[in-house]
Order: sequence, then C-alpha cells, then structure tokens
Amino acid sequence: MSILDDAKEKWTGTINEVTIGATKQDGGTRTSVVTVGGAGALPFMNFEGPTPRAPVVAMEIWDREPDDWAQPLVDAFGPVLKSPADWARKCVEEFGAEMLCLKLAGTHPDFGDATPAQAAEVVKAVLKAVGVPLIVWGCDHDEKDNEVLPRCSQAAAGERCLLGAVKEDNYKTLVASCLADGHTILGLSPIDINIAKQINILVSEMGLPLNRIVMYPTTGALGYGIEYAHSIQERGRLAALSGDKIMSLPVLCMVGSEAWRTKEAKASQQENPAWGDEKTRGIYWEIGTASTLLQAGSDILVMRHPAAVSAIRKTISELMVK
Amino acid sequence: MKTHSITFLPDNITIKAAAGKSVLDAAVAAGLAVNSVCGGDGVCGKCRVLVKSGKVTAKPNMFLDRREIQRGMALACQTFIDGDVTIEVPFESRVGGVPQLATEDAIRYGSISDWVGEGALFPHNPLFQKIYLELPKPTIGDCICDQERLYREIRRNLDIPIMQTGLAILQRLPDILRQSDWKVTALLGWRGGTVEVVDVEAGDTSAANLGVALDLGTTTVVAHLVDLTTSKTLATKAKYNSQITFGDDVISRIMYGATPERRTQLRDVVVNDINDLLAGLVVDAKVKLNDVCMVACAGNTTMIHLLCALNPANIRKDPYIPAACCPPVIRAAEVGIKINSRGLLATLPSVASYVGGDVVADVLVSGMMRSPELSLLIDLGTNGELVLGNSDWLVCCSASAGPSFEGGGITCGMRATNGAIEHVQLGKNGDIVQCNVVGGGKPLGLCGSGLIDAVGELLKAGCIDRRGRFDPAACGGRLREGDSGGQEFLLFPGAVTALGRDLVLTEADINNLIHSKGSIYMAMECLLDHVGMSFDDLQHVYIAGGFGNYLKIDQGIRIGLLPDLDPARFKYIGNGSVQGAKMALLSQEALKNVQDQIAGAMTYLELSTNHKYMNEYSSCLFLPHTNIEKFPSLMPAAQKQNDAAAPR
Repeated sequence: MSILDDAKEKWTGTINEVTIGATKQDGGTRTSVVTVGGAGALPFMNFEGPTPRAPVVAMEIWDREPDDWAQPLVDAFGPVLKSPADWARKCVEEFGAEMLCLKLAGTHPDFGDATPAQAAEVVKAVLKAVGVPLIVWGCDHDEKDNEVLPRCSQAAAGERCLLGAVKEDNYKTLVASCLADGHTILGLSPIDINIAKQINILVSEMGLPLNRIVMYPTTGALGYGIEYAHSIQERGRLAALSGDKIMSLPVLCMVGSEAWRTKEAKASQQENPAWGDEKTRGIYWEIGTASTLLQAGSDILVMRHPAAVSAIRKTISELMVK
Repeated sequence: MKTHSITFLPDNITIKAAAGKSVLDAAVAAGLAVNSVCGGDGVCGKCRVLVKSGKVTAKPNMFLDRREIQRGMALACQTFIDGDVTIEVPFESRVGGVPQLATEDAIRYGSISDWVGEGALFPHNPLFQKIYLELPKPTIGDCICDQERLYREIRRNLDIPIMQTGLAILQRLPDILRQSDWKVTALLGWRGGTVEVVDVEAGDTSAANLGVALDLGTTTVVAHLVDLTTSKTLATKAKYNSQITFGDDVISRIMYGATPERRTQLRDVVVNDINDLLAGLVVDAKVKLNDVCMVACAGNTTMIHLLCALNPANIRKDPYIPAACCPPVIRAAEVGIKINSRGLLATLPSVASYVGGDVVADVLVSGMMRSPELSLLIDLGTNGELVLGNSDWLVCCSASAGPSFEGGGITCGMRATNGAIEHVQLGKNGDIVQCNVVGGGKPLGLCGSGLIDAVGELLKAGCIDRRGRFDPAACGGRLREGDSGGQEFLLFPGAVTALGRDLVLTEADINNLIHSKGSIYMAMECLLDHVGMSFDDLQHVYIAGGFGNYLKIDQGIRIGLLPDLDPARFKYIGNGSVQGAKMALLSQEALKNVQDQIAGAMTYLELSTNHKYMNEYSSCLFLPHTNIEKFPSLMPAAQKQNDAAAPR
C-alpha cells in the first residue's frame, strides 16, 4: 500500500508584524497596543503554519454625528454619537474595543468642512479619552486630507497611530508626516493586487519601512462584490506567503461602513416585510461580511455595531483555538 | 447654397467653400495637410488654427484656454465658416516635413545582397522580368500562331508552365513582331500562380527593368526604387501619409471610410502620396517612369484595404474579419498608381486584422523563421506587433499601444521629423546634459525615442517616482503648475526652442507612455506564456519599425518597455517593411516564403480576450514594473541580496 503524499502547503513567506499604538515606554501615552501580522500560513490553518496573532476588530467612530446611519446603529450608541470622545469611551469601556478607527468625515468639504485645527482637536480629545491605539482616517478627499491629516499626525505625534489612507497618486504628503511623527500608514488600492504592491513600493521607497505599512485592498460587502474582494485579498496573501516580501503586510477591511451601506442592512421592515427584523438584519449582514473576509486573511476589521463586533470577536477566539 | 471664400496662410491659397463647412474640411479641399489625430471628432485638439479675419462659428471645446481663444485660436474641425475668412495654419498643426528614415536604413542594416542573390537566402528571381527574344520567323513548316510563337520562345528561356496575356497585347502583337523584325522584349509579370505577358516591346528594352518597394505605413509612406536586374536601390524617398488628416490611427480611418465615396477619397489621397514619391524617385535616379513596371507593397491590413478601396469596416468589429488578407496582384493603374500603364501591384499578405503585411515583411527580414533559436520580433508603433517563434512555429499578437511612441497624446509630442528631440540626457535636478535634435536645429518637440529617454532619465535622476509622479524636491526649479492644473516639468524654456514655446513634460504625458510601454511588455509576456516560455529563453530580440531604429536599448529596459536581457541579444532590423517588400520584389521565392512559411504558418493570439493580459496589465503600469525581480539589473543593491537569501 502506498502512502499518500503530504498535501500540506509549505510556505516560505511570513507576514510582517505591525504594531499600532505606543505606550509611555515607547514615547506615547497608550495604555495598550495592538500588534497584527506574523502569519506563516493561510488564516487558521494551524496544521500548515502559525497564525500567531489573532485578527483585531477596531470600532469605527466619527468626528461628527453621522446623519445617514441606520437606526439600529444609532440606537446602539445613543447620545454619545454627538461627542467623539464620549463615543470612544463608550466603545472601549462598554464594548471592550481594543482599537478605534476615527473617521474624520466632518472634514469633507461637502459634509461639514471642519478645519485641520478642529480635526486635530478631535484627535487629541479621543486620545485623551481612551488608552487604546487609534486609526485616523481622513475624509477621502485628497486635497482636504493633505491639509487635515498632517495636522492630526502632528497632534498625535509619538502615538504610533495608523494613518490613512494613501493612494497611488496621493501619498507623499502623508508619508512624510508619518515619518516625521512616528506613525504607521494605510495604503489603499482599488481591488487590484498590482496597485496594492505599487503603493507599498512607493511608500517604502520614501523611507517608511515595510513593518509600518498596512494594506487596504478595498472591501466589498456581502452581496456587493465580497467574492471579488475576498479573492483579491487571498491572492495577495498567497503571493506574500510564497515569498513576495513587498506583499507581506497585514490587511485591513472596512467591514462596518460597507455592510451598513447595503440596502439589505438599512431597509425598514415596512419596505421589505419578507426580509425580517431590521433590528438584527444589518448586524447579521456585518457579521456575514466580517466572517467571510476573516478567511481571506484580514488582520484588522473596522466594524460598527457592538453586537456584530462582539460576535466576530467570539468567532475569532474560537478559530484561534489550536 | 451660399459659398464663401476662405484663404489659408501662409500658403495664401484661397478656395470657395459652402457656408457651414468646417475649416478642417476646407483645408483638406485646399490640399493642406492639417494634423488631426481624431479625424475631425473634436477630441484630440491637434488641429489648432488661427482665425485672422472673417466670421466663423466655433463649437466650444476643452482644449483652448481663454487667452488662446482671444488670440483667435480655434480647432479647425470644430470651427465652421460663416463668411469670407482668412485662416492661418501654424507650423505645429501641419503634417509636414520629411520623415526621418529612408536612405540610412540601407546602410545601417545591411544591403539587399545579404538576403537576395547568389549565395544569399533567396535566389534572384524578380517579380517582373524583361527578356529579349529573337523569334524565328514563321514558315510554312513552322506555322504556329504569333501568340504560341512568343510563348514557345519565352519557355525556351524560362520554365513557365502557365502564361496569360491580355487581349490588348494580342491585338497589337502581329504588328509589333513584324515591325521589329521578330526582335522583341517580353515584359513578364508574376501574378501568383501564373505569369502574365504584360507587354511586348519592339527591340531590346530589357536593360531598364525597374520596380518599387513600398512601405505603406499608417503614418509614413516609404518608397525605394530598385533596379530589378542588378538588385541595386537607385533612390529612396519617404513622406507622411496624407490620410493622417482623416485620423491618426487605423481605427479612426476605418471609421472615416464608412461610405464608398470616402473610401475612394482615402485611396486617392494615399495614391497621390505614392505618385509624388514615384515622381521624385525617377527624377533622382534619372530614369523613365515607364520603365517602372512592378510595385511590391507591404502595409498593415487596414492600409492595404484603403489602398485597394476595400471596405475595412469589419476589421474593427468583433470578430475582426478583413475583406482580404492577400489581395491578388492587380494592375497598378487600377488604384491610380502611375507607373508603366500595364505595370503590376503586388501586396505582401496579412495574417489577421491587426497583423499585416508589414509585420510579415519584418519577419522575412529578421530571418527568424529560418533559425531553430527562439526569437521575438517587436514592431513598435501605434499598434505594437509582436511575433515569437523559430523555424518550426510562429505566433503573433497585436497590442494597442496608443500613439505616444509616435509623439501623439503628448503635450509637446511630435513625429520624428526635423526639430524632434530624439535623444536627451539629464543630470541632477533634471538639468539637460545633452540633447540631440533631428536636423540639428532648435528643439520643437519630443518624438517617441526622446520621450522614452526623457522619462528614463527623469527616473534615473529621481525626479519622478516609479509611478511616474514628480518629486518636487528632486526637480530643482523645473517643476511648475501647468495651464491645465497638473504639474509640468520644464525641459526647454521657450527662449531656446524653435517656436518660442516652452517644452514641458506633464504627469499625464508620462502616464501615457507608461500605458503604451505596459501594453507592449504585457503582450510579450502573454505571447511567451502562451507557449510556456519565458524571457530567458529568448536568444534574439529584433526591433523593427521606423521608431525602433532610434530607441536606446538601456532606456527601453529602464522604463520597462523591453525585457531585461543582455543588450547583445537585441538587434535592430530597421524598416523591415520596405526591406521585406524589396526582397519580395527581387525574389519570387521570398514572396512565396512569405505566403507559405510566414503568413501561412503564423498563429494569431487575440489579446483582447486574454485573461492574463487583463489581470496583470496593471503590474506593468510602473517603472519599470511592479515586480522588480523581472528587471534584476535595475534592482536596488540591497534588495538583490535580500532576494538572493529568500527561497523563491
């Protein structure tokens, strides 16, 4: 009787570890830090290689009160939505968030046009209110981000935040800030593995080491291109594990904003009686999106609803059992 | 219908034109070659003219700024005549000058005797032959007819099983034979499987047997006058294809040629060009046009369609079917080419809609179909054509590279004619160290090789990043805000240029070049992948095309246009099109080889449905490439060590 060949994959690459947040010892004021990456195999395939660090959920907060969020989200947070610092505190103290993603939505010229100074104040207030590491995300308006984010970077100097997002045609200003203020950076690519790699090259050629870069390959929600997002993410991870050092970076997914943009998450029960209870539907949509992308090798999941966050953290801890 | 008179300056040509006619149409009617990349759709902005006086109506466009409009600048195709007007067509909007090529090629890339003649690849056996015959006079015992008598005598000299003759010749034959005392010269033209007795001339005229090899390009038309007896090239000439006024690329010309009238117009325009060249050639060589009896023409599939006024419409429609890949040998006069009135026109066969007789000619000249070693042939132009293979097989594809190699779509781009910067070397901060201008004078613009040099040098100097974006810190004082918003790099200030206009390079220009070079590199990878091979397997890389001659290999590699191979493996073949046509002209065996071993044996790989192409194209939109491992000679030293350590 012949013995079957061992079908296990042998990987040569390892994902870089990236630490977000700096404690007093490292020149910051965080009371905790988050380290992601380190994987030597596809996620949770412990028989092929280690997944030494569990994926982390970061809860999304905004600098202004969101006016288009679905009711279940608004209900979950209540009045704290009006104050970024209170919102941050509630996420950490009540929902146990390990990391926060502060989206500076209010700086967008069409949605509040807050000044760089105002945005920097918000960043400071959030950092003061909580001790967890912070992702600081602009408003996705290139010119405005280039004014706002350097100010926020300065305001958070030494805190080793994750700043984002830089794109292929707009990265120099923010990378320079990151280098000066000791942060890590998030590189956005439009569901294209080649452009993802190009951003990593461009950023690292400016002098930012590869262990200070996180990739955001763009997220598609369940029913809205998730299979495409999944396959691009997985291809990137396979390239990394096969030895492509420039692709060996942790990956972030914007689960909350994408899942809660879908009509399935937002529509009321009156509009679509057959779709079930709107109070839980969006939460399930967020969980579905997150748990799928976990399998593609996500290291940071930015999520919104506390119930979905808690469910995914439970999933992660179960998957991490060896 | 109301008509107005329209005067063009500085030519001072006045014509009558109907009210509402576009200035571009009027210029064409006046015989002026105005630059128009888009063929009059108003989307290229190249047909700028100055309205000096008179009333016109102009459609709004996004190419002219307020200052320019106030100065009277207008786009010829978007401006319509509304009264008697005077229009200046500035130098930069003209299709003009003489393309840079012609005679040099023959010197640089070997003489025809390397290919045709005794001891060469193909025997000397021209498509058109003149043989002097002394026919035995008929007697009662040898009473075959005049035609048979002529054929019999021809066959005594040449092995020709099948012959044909036109009625016109037979009508004249009895008189010619008898008046010349049975001493005549038979003009024999090769027509595929048969030989035609094209004409019979009294006495011995066999000494003057001339032919013309023609490269019918989308942009340029090149003609070589060849002595078919001695294989010598007597004169060469080149000129821009006047069809440019109807669109810069084949697609816009196909679109223009939608009706039979327009196809006749397109044909007449290019045939005029050919006739101009022919008239110049015979003057230069001091020979008689009547002694030119054969034209062999290599051109892309669309150009051959337009030359023969065939309907090219299906070339651009899925599944891309040409009317004919190998039109028969026809009387040259049928399309209006003015040589001997009974002279013939042969075209080199095409393979597919986007792989034409020009590429087939390149392959013939490269000789790659005769070597067991793997070769790749690249013909760089608006359409990049690639052929991979050896003596056993050939596979080809066509990659749409866009017009940037020809200087199109580039702010200060131009064709490789007088004033074009063909080479440039930059130092720190992008300062000009050295610059070569075609013709020697002041620079007027950048042609393809100059553009590649400029981008390669900017990358080397660190003035641009690997995505082609400027780094202000490394550009010294040369970076500035352009009129259209983006940043532009000042290569030459107006004070030192030919027209006083600043020569700049914008990020959009660089991006256009990156897309062009990316499509060529990706097409090469797809071809190799298709046959399960890699760049390392390539023994020879042949670079063809007018532009290819001037390309520097190291710059081509630096920007990721060419694969990172030992420079010794690259070889220029010059204008393969005209050389190939010449080989066919001089050797029936060469033309047969083209038909059977090259065009007939070539497999066509369609890239528009190729998944690898689609998936990996964006990895080529980087300088030189996203995966720097593919360009080991350009890898930073630190990374090389890193990679050597890592298992692959």
